[in-house]
Formats: sequence, structure tokens, C-alpha cells
Amino acid sequence: MKIKKQLSRIPMWLYGCMLLPLLAFGLMHQGNVIFKVIEIPRIWTDEAMKDWELPNSNPDFSAQPVSEEFYYNLPERVIFKTYPVYHPEHEPEGYWEWLHEQEAEVVLDESKLLTEEDWIRAGELLFDYPIDTLGAIINTQHVRNPDFYKATNMPLTPEGVMPFAQWVVSGKGKVYLGNLSCAMCHTRVMEDGSLLKGAQGNWPGDKAFAFALESDGASERGIQGVTNALFGSPFVEGDPHGQLLSSGKDAIIEAYKAVPEGAFGRQGTSILYPPQAPNLIGVKDRKYLDHGGLGQHRNIEDMMRYIAMNQALDFLNFYGDYNSLGLTKERLYSGQPIFFPGTHDRHSEAQLYALAKYVYFLTPPENPNKSSELSEKGRIIFAEQGCVTCHTPPLFTNNKLTPADGFEVPDEHYDKYDIFDISVGTDPGYTMKTRRGTGYYKVPSLLGLWYRGPFLHDASLAKLEDLFDSDRLRDDYVPTAFKPHDVKTKAVKGHEFGMELNDMDRKALITYLLTL
Amino acid sequence: MDTGYLDIVLDPLRSLRILRCDRCVNSILEKKKIQLTLSLLLVILFISFSLVAQTIKPENPIQFKIKNAGITVDGTISDWMVEVDFDPKKLAQSSIQGTANPVSIETGIKLRDRHLQGREYFDVKKYPEIRLQSKSFKTNGKNTFIGIFELQIRAVKKEVEIPFSVANSEKQRKFKGEFVIDRLDFGLGEKSLVLSDEVRVYLEF
Repeated sequence: MKIKKQLSRIPMWLYGCMLLPLLAFGLMHQGNVIFKVIEIPRIWTDEAMKDWELPNSNPDFSAQPVSEEFYYNLPERVIFKTYPVYHPEHEPEGYWEWLHEQEAEVVLDESKLLTEEDWIRAGELLFDYPIDTLGAIINTQHVRNPDFYKATNMPLTPEGVMPFAQWVVSGKGKVYLGNLSCAMCHTRVMEDGSLLKGAQGNWPGDKAFAFALESDGASERGIQGVTNALFGSPFVEGDPHGQLLSSGKDAIIEAYKAVPEGAFGRQGTSILYPPQAPNLIGVKDRKYLDHGGLGQHRNIEDMMRYIAMNQALDFLNFYGDYNSLGLTKERLYSGQPIFFPGTHDRHSEAQLYALAKYVYFLTPPENPNKSSELSEKGRIIFAEQGCVTCHTPPLFTNNKLTPADGFEVPDEHYDKYDIFDISVGTDPGYTMKTRRGTGYYKVPSLLGLWYRGPFLHDASLAKLEDLFDSDRLRDDYVPTAFKPHDVKTKAVKGHEFGMELNDMDRKALITYLLTL
Repeated sequence: MDTGYLDIVLDPLRSLRILRCDRCVNSILEKKKIQLTLSLLLVILFISFSLVAQTIKPENPIQFKIKNAGITVDGTISDWMVEVDFDPKKLAQSSIQGTANPVSIETGIKLRDRHLQGREYFDVKKYPEIRLQSKSFKTNGKNTFIGIFELQIRAVKKEVEIPFSVANSEKQRKFKGEFVIDRLDFGLGEKSLVLSDEVRVYLEF
């Protein structure tokens, strides 16, 4: 009673002071912060956007992103509940009708994100969430057509789910096919049918787009227009994409079809030099994003910027006076909305933060390839062959940028970026002849090779064994994965290491690489 | 031995008829030959062992070893020169200096060699020479010495202590030494989880 009486005399402000340490360090519950004030950074500032990306290989045509004012005038995205897309022959009975009876359900309330787990869970939701319902790549008619799956050799889960797109219900009877989620390119259907989120995806996106163009009976002009929007880069030497456009509808569709699963001609890249779909597992430790190292990754803000930019806002970039949608700067800043997939709205800062938290959280599955006597021998060969210089453990990358053949590193880059000033001689097309090209390739991490493929930045080799096959250097070689649509054979040059190893040593090296 | 030049020496004497007797001439010539042979030997010995600087292009390359990912990588720099002016009895007046061309670096992997020549390591375009210049010597036992040298790699000059031995044979003298440097002291690359900082260097000439 006496203690109670004494406590009652303590003024309220003193109780408040006692709570301060808890506020400062957060309330800990089972090792997890359950109360913590998170300051979410404002990422799209004119100042930050100025030099976050590396310049184009031709710096006169480096990307000029939209202004801070333009960006923050875009409305924030509302995240509705989504539903899986089934192969028509696997769709549960009455599913389609049931979908049309559902009401819209907003599933993300940022004010309720308190713990680290909350943010990561929200991030996963956003990772799977399609930002486009305008039919950017495929639409309802395509995915409800069994021929679509046959033509694209679409990977499915054992339940018959096509995991690369979602149904978005934005109101009763308003069921739209959602495209352009992160999951679209960064989800892999494994051999056993399980899904590996964040991995090098195996969505046959360009084959799917070719099916869409053909089945919709798209006109030549239409196909040229959309292909130009995606890849147009008339300022690069030789303008290869301009040449593709002028080669006609059939050739363009063949070019889309030539891009294998595991690669994807994302906007600003190319279907002539398609980038391998990046593995996001472990991305937290990478210093550059994109195969050409376009985006610097110095902190979570950079990751948020990358997500904001690459979910289609780069369609609004200017390269010199060129914009691939045919916009002028006057039109862009006229205040009129631009209705093109991914460019008329944006993620909120909290959504970007959650997404970044999720991709940082991605961890690899347990590797079934265990260490053995043979892999141990391979580990030594890996060191002896000097692989460790670029693919340095424990990240198995030195996190540096290597110049492509034909690119001369400007002096000022040595102080600004992490340069490994040697070209390994791989195909320079992607980084020298696209909007995203920087003149560099980033040294890739070898972690998770066992669940990845095809290999090299242009996905030209299906298996690791192909990498060490000296036949690939010959002009009569048939690339085992990506082969340009207009050639029968093509040498896959560059990165010519380990080719002189005898069969046993090569086997040991590959065995080791598959344990990483 | 070519003695033709003796005639040039003796001709003036002949012309002065000082040397008329062939036997006498021959005897004098023999004496002169011996004297000259001895003189030449002395000159050779003098060049070899005295404080006359001698420029050597060593047959053996500079060798170095560095641990990379648990494996010892052996490398060489084959293009190098040494100027030796070394007298064990006059250490204070002695000097040894050398230059090496880092373009000739070889580690068994061409791409790695190119990388080592690049800006991150030797930056050969900007710094085409590695320089070593002695500052002082002291004896360290029979035919062994310790030299303090200034080693310059890139723009960094740093003192290094090099213990070395000198083996004298009839034909030549052999210098042999080894030392360790911290590559980071000289701006050679950056801190690495797999590449050791220490490089062991072996010199023989």
C-alpha cells in the first residue's frame, strides 16, 4: 500500500520519461521488433535521380527520368485481392463464374504494417501483384485459350496454375488479367512443380507476346509500334532495332519467339540481345542492378528507386530528345495523364519499401547438391583457374562492372563506380545497343547456379557444360538456348575459361559450381 | 688471344731500331704477352669485384607468390635489369638498383595478367617501371647481407628490408634474396576476402 501510495505521487511526465528508452530501442517480442517508427525515405527526388543510374554507353543519350513533381503527382496504386490463373483444362468447376461474383477487396493497409514480418509479408503480396490490367503482354482471351499453353510451352504448377499472371477483381464482375508483377519474370516453376520466388524465372514472356500478337491478328504497324515502344533505340550504332522493325511483321514475331524461357525482352532491353531474367535471391548483396549495372545499389532507397523505375516508368524516359512512346517533353509535362501500362500510377513509398524488404528477405532453398570429394576437387580447380578473381567467395562475385568489347571506360568512372577493367569478350550487343546499355556487364554471382539457367547474360547457353565446350566458339555452333531468329548458327564467344581442362577436372568444377 | 695490337705497340720501337734482334723481339713479345694477359685478368677481376657498376639483365625472372583462395599463385616478372656496384668490404659505397617492367607479369592466366597490368594494380600505362634502389647495407653473416632498399611501385615509395646472399664463383657472383611486401601498402588492388595482402618476392641475379 505504501509503495502504491508513493508511486501515485510520481508525476506523469516521469512515467513518460521511463517509456523513452523503450521508444528508442523498440519493443522486442521474441526477437522481433513489434513497435518501431520507420522513416520511409522519399526516393524520387530530382537530386537523387540525377546520378543514381549509370550513363548510357553513349552518354549523350543517357536516360532522363521524369521529374520529382511529375512522379509524385501520379496516383498511388491500390492493391486488390488477386486470384490464381488456371490452365482452362485445370480450372476448378465454376471458378470463372465464382470470380465474377467476388467484390473488390483492398488487401494492403499500410497503417497496419508494424513489424518486420508485416513489411515482408506486404512485400510478398506486392511482389505478386500485377501493376497492369490493360493487357500489356497477354489478356483474358489468351490465358483462357488452351492453345496459348501449347504454343508457349508454359510451365504450370501441379494444380495447373500458371503462376506468372493473376486475376485482379476490382469490383463485382470486373475480372481483369493482371500483367507485369515482379513475380512474372522472377518466379521459377521447378522440375517438381514447386514455385521458387525471386529466382531466374522461366516465364516464356516473349513467346507469350508473340502468341498474343498472332492470335489477335495485330497489324504490321501495330507490331512495329509496340516493338519500338519496348526496344526502340535509334541513337545506337547501326540502329539494330530500327532494322528489325523494317524487316516486317513476320520477322519481328520470329524474333519474339526466339527468346527462350529464362530470358525476357523487358522494356529498354532487346529481343535481339535479350537479357537473362535476373536471380533476385541474394540481391541484397549486389552493388549494381540490371545486367549492365544500370542502377547503383548502395542502400534500400536505390532498390526502391529501381523497383519504381523498372515497373514501366522508364517508358517515360527521354534519351536525348528521343522517347520510345513518341512523347515530347511538352506532352509529358502537360498535366494530361499518359495511359500506357505502368505509367499512369505509381507505388507508394511504403509499398516500395515493403517490396524492397521482401526481395532482401529472399533466401535460397536448400541445395540438394552436397559437398563431395569431387566437388572439393572442383573447389581447388576453381581457385587454381583464377575464377575467384571475379567470382569471389562468399558472394561469388566481386560486385564489379566489366567493360564490354568496344567500350572505353571514361576516366571519371574509375572513381565513381567499381570497375574491373577487363572485358571477358562476351556479346556486347545488350550493353552497347540498347536503352539500358551502359557499356558494362556486371560480374554475376554464381550462387544458386543449380536452380538457374540458361546461362550468360544473353541466355545463350542452356547448361553449364555448354560453357566449357570449346565448340561454342566456332561460327557453326548452334547455341543451346537463345539463338537470334535470323541465323542458323552462331558462335557464343567470350568468357573462355576452363575450356582446356580435361574431362575429369571439368566434371569436378561443374560439380562444385552446382553446390554453390 | 689476339695479339695483333702488340705489333702496333712494338712497331715504333722497331722503327727506332731498338728492337733488331728477332729472338730478342720474340722474348720481349712473350714477356709483354704475359704481362698483358695478367693485366687483362686484373682488369676483368677489377670490373667484377670492384666498385665499378655492372649492368645485368638477369636470366631468371623475378618470382612472386601470393595466396589466393587458399591456393598459392606463382607469378613472374621477366623483364628486369639490375645495376650492381657492390663490394662486401665497402658496403657504405656499394649500391644495387634495379628496374622491372610490370607489363611482363605472368601468372598463368592471361586475363589475370591483363588485370594486374590495369589501373587497379600496376597501372602500367601510368607507371611503366617498378624501381628498387639501395640505401644501405650491413653484413648478416658470412656472404649474407641485409639491404635497406627503397621500393617504388606505382607512385608509392616505401623502404623494404631485403636479406640476401652473395655467392662468388670463378665465373660470376650470384645475388639471391627474398622479401615480403604488403600489396595494399603500394596500392596494388584492394582488401580481399580471398586474396592475401602479403606477397613474397624472390630475386636472383
